[in-house]
Amino acid sequence: MKTKSKFRKKDLAGWLVMVPSLILFAFYIWQPLIENIRLSLYTAKRYELVEFVGLDNYVRAVNSPDFMAAFSNTFEYIFWSLLIGFLVPIIVGILISETVHFKGLFRVGVYFPNIMPSLATVWIWSFFFTPGDTGVLNILLGKLGIEPLMWLTDPDMTIPLIIVSMTWKSAGATALIYMANISSINADLYEAATIDGAGIWQRTRYITLPSVFGLAKTLLILQVISVFQILQEPMVMTNGGPNNASISIMMLMYRYAFRDFNFPVAAAISVMICLVLVLLSGLYMKLTAAKDE
Amino acid sequence: MKKRLLVTLLASVMILTNLAGCASDGGDTATNEDEPVVEERAVEEPAVEEPAEEPAEEPAEEPVTVTLGIWPEDTLVEDIAVHEGFVATLAETHPNVTYEPAYYRYAVDTFMPMVESGNVPTIFEAWFTEPQKLIKQEAVADITDQLAARGWLDAISPAIKELLSDANGRVYGVPRDAYALGLMLNVELFTEAGLVDDAGYPLYPTTWEDLAEKAVIIKEQTGAAGLCLLAKDNSGGWHFSNIAWAFGATLCVDNGDGTFTSNLASPEAIAAMEYVKSLKWEYDVLTADPTNEDWGTGFTALGTGAAAMYIGANDAVNQPTQVNGLPLESLALCAIPAGPGGQFSLMGGTPYMFSKDATPAEIEAALDYLVVFGKSPEVTEASIAGMRADNQNKADNGVPIIPRFACWVGQDILDAEAQIIEELGNVDTGMYQSYFDATKAGGLRTEEPGLTQDMYAELTKVLQAVLTDEDADTAALMETANSNYQALLDAM
Repeated sequence: MKTKSKFRKKDLAGWLVMVPSLILFAFYIWQPLIENIRLSLYTAKRYELVEFVGLDNYVRAVNSPDFMAAFSNTFEYIFWSLLIGFLVPIIVGILISETVHFKGLFRVGVYFPNIMPSLATVWIWSFFFTPGDTGVLNILLGKLGIEPLMWLTDPDMTIPLIIVSMTWKSAGATALIYMANISSINADLYEAATIDGAGIWQRTRYITLPSVFGLAKTLLILQVISVFQILQEPMVMTNGGPNNASISIMMLMYRYAFRDFNFPVAAAISVMICLVLVLLSGLYMKLTAAKDE
Repeated sequence: MKKRLLVTLLASVMILTNLAGCASDGGDTATNEDEPVVEERAVEEPAVEEPAEEPAEEPAEEPVTVTLGIWPEDTLVEDIAVHEGFVATLAETHPNVTYEPAYYRYAVDTFMPMVESGNVPTIFEAWFTEPQKLIKQEAVADITDQLAARGWLDAISPAIKELLSDANGRVYGVPRDAYALGLMLNVELFTEAGLVDDAGYPLYPTTWEDLAEKAVIIKEQTGAAGLCLLAKDNSGGWHFSNIAWAFGATLCVDNGDGTFTSNLASPEAIAAMEYVKSLKWEYDVLTADPTNEDWGTGFTALGTGAAAMYIGANDAVNQPTQVNGLPLESLALCAIPAGPGGQFSLMGGTPYMFSKDATPAEIEAALDYLVVFGKSPEVTEASIAGMRADNQNKADNGVPIIPRFACWVGQDILDAEAQIIEELGNVDTGMYQSYFDATKAGGLRTEEPGLTQDMYAELTKVLQAVLTDEDADTAALMETANSNYQALLDAM
């Protein structure tokens, strides 16, 4: 009992230190979160609740002509982002770590796109992807005698191309994290492996990859969560088109909230996004935990 | 123990935060309730004390502050000088009113938070798409009584008034301008393509088929796109509805009982969409990527010579000229081409609207500002001076001075305007003749009823599909759009 009382006293100071953060969290995160869930169950004038309607807003959201396209596109964004965007930073990170000369230059080089404002990046890539004779990429293709491509206006290419532009911008920053991780690997391991005659492939296969595996798992789930909330890239580059080929679930939410001022349905969609992400994260944790065991 | 402490702490924080939220709500309500009390006093006092002559003036002494969201942005120095003149004029007649500049450019993502926090300027300008949404959300003030007292209510053009009214006929805005869609032409490109008559006037297209043929000539002769067609956002559907009418389509049927029937898959609407498709795949006369063209980029394409024709309205003649550098004499505006179904011009209005928190006294003072600005149906010395100053400023900035589209029905105001335009006119009226002839000929039509923005969204998706896929099945796409739109109408 005495020990417990001592323990509580000791803890109290810690809790007191945490109180300001907890208040801020409660005010800026938890309370809006709860209000958002409440809003999704009501009709509203502006943000003011009018009448409890249960799950009607959820039904309306799901019945929206754009919902299925937005939902499936969002998973398509995740698929392409994992295919294109997940491996690139690992490869870049390993390659730069293995580089002997101009390492700093390469590090700055890959990180450079990340310092550009997002909107500027999106605009630049839009100019590159312009179809017809005036697009930068089409001009380059023209020099090689290749017919102009449709780029973003080809519904099959829209999402992968948007992911390419996102990867170009953010892969460098993630690669830096991998590089930091790789640099913390005991150098003796590499030295011993090199003495034993291991080449770059073997060093990577048996030392680097197992070492970054834990970090890669964390970054994977963060990437899924981040890409699930993709909004500004499709909004600026294609406005969700052509014919909903690139609309994301966040875009649909944005349209309900700020084009139609229908905040309850927007709130319902955001709650659904939250639930899906919780489910995906839970599933992922369970799968990786099982593997770890 | 640790767990219990954590739970207690979290719970207390949550409760406190929620209480704080409730308290602030309560506080807001109290403030909101307070205001009407002041309002009522201001309005009621004169009524009660009317028989006793002198005290009636007392309410006028009450200080009133009007925030002017219609103030020009900081960079428009000359426009600001004009508005400072209006404030100086009003200072003499309204000593109790303080007019505060509060430049506000309406934006959908900031507007509702501003409404909730009570920060919307007393008077502001909204887009033509917005009045019905804002009225439904009770985000703007009902100004019916103020307009009725001034006799303005019957002066608003009936079609425009409907756009600014709710289902009960209450009015929530004053028209800044009315507009009717026309076809803007880049005369330089027409001249380069040899499409001008002996007097130098462009040989504008009179039918949609004619437009396609002329667009081909322009593209061949100049390399520029013949037409800039929009397909990025709802403005694509908005323009398309005007094309569809020319093909004989009616896109939505008002059943008269509060329900609507979608009619997007009619043979006429499909024919119109097929026509649009042919502009891309048969005639190839559009800009490189119509799915990335919106209202603003369309004017850029026209103004910078990237496209020779663009659907635009009379209230936006500053866009290709002042904003995008097209010389005054190189802009012409003709009637929207006709089709097998006739010639129609979509009309609407850009409104001034008022903060829902504005008191009647503030609304009155804001309306007085519009009188001096020359944007009211009243013809007074001050309003004529305001109109002249406004038009002079346009002339100084290279904006074509052409008649406003009649948003007020009173002949006095139209005559006064006509006289000022005659005095300050800076363009060859022949460049605009067919537009004004057509709009007087009875082909004016307001937007389709029933969830119009949703209809535009559905049409835009079809536009995007047919403009990016040569093999797109137009009829099937229109059928899908029709059933989507009908589902939304049914869920209204």
